[in-house]
Amino acid sequence: MRLVTENEENGLGLGVREPMTRIVSPASPSRFLILLLGGRYLALDAESIQGALTIKVVGSLDAPTIHGRVYRAINLADRLRISNNQGTANSRIVLLSERGVQGSIRVTSVQGWLELHPTQVLPLPPHFRGPERRWYRGMILFEKSIALVLNTSWVLDEQVTSIEDSGGQEGIPRLVVAPKMSVNNSQAC
Amino acid sequence: MLRTRQNHHRGTARQSYQLLVFFVGGRRLAVKAVDVSGISQWAEPIPVAGRTPFITSVVRQGKTVLPVFDLAASLRLTVQGSSPLCLRVKHSLGEMAMCIDEEIPVLHTLDPATLQTYHGKDLPSDGSYTNGLDEIPILSVSQLGSTE
Repeated sequence: MRLVTENEENGLGLGVREPMTRIVSPASPSRFLILLLGGRYLALDAESIQGALTIKVVGSLDAPTIHGRVYRAINLADRLRISNNQGTANSRIVLLSERGVQGSIRVTSVQGWLELHPTQVLPLPPHFRGPERRWYRGMILFEKSIALVLNTSWVLDEQVTSIEDSGGQEGIPRLVVAPKMSVNNSQAC
Repeated sequence: MLRTRQNHHRGTARQSYQLLVFFVGGRRLAVKAVDVSGISQWAEPIPVAGRTPFITSVVRQGKTVLPVFDLAASLRLTVQGSSPLCLRVKHSLGEMAMCIDEEIPVLHTLDPATLQTYHGKDLPSDGSYTNGLDEIPILSVSQLGSTE
């Protein structure tokens, strides 16, 4: 399975859970996992992806535990306030980890990997001036639509919902730093 | 895609300026022609979850992605017609798109002497003019999205 982006000639390889050992430089391409949630394309930086599993494999949806590490369930559809009929055969649980914080999101389907040059991630138009400026890192032209690149720090931030619901728009991500453990999860979507 | 309304103000042509008159939900509105960057067929908007009032989607035109200002929703109207149009306007933050009725917009030459203050609070305006019994507000593009 391959995905083709209209931004660039680069193709991509698909396969969740590959070692994330690339050297980051301004010229390095970035990899994104393209997801479908509630009929919308979203993208997540590959650096934060630990795996994408079927619901059957995950077992507990509240707190999937993979190789001893607990991935707290995050209701992303609820956070984004979009309706999502999640119960499809293609549903996946995407495991995330960033700066020692883990979480998991349930998505309608996983579309695949996309490799892009950083300049191909378009900024969110400045007309969007609400808290969504923290939700997204930008946009990717994808098929005939766009995929919004999620800010993983925001997704994993446990306290963000209460901040935004109370009207705060300038909340700073407050990640709880915990010792980082390596996960060697070979399960793939 | 535009029809030109006959100029009734030839004597003041040097001082007059062009408006584009269009419809949203059957309501007639105007915008300065210099604020318009294009008109095309309306494409299916791509929703963007967020909390910015009336800016909740984008439209893609080739490799260009434009934020959509939902003018109809801001006026509590519904766009009319099965083939709505996309009005692209020049906002200070960048181009924006608006969905308007399928009725073909019309160019109108306005004598500045007929420009009046628009007292309505339903949209940001650069004034208005009268056409028969109708008061046509001139949409202030620069203020779109700046108020909730």
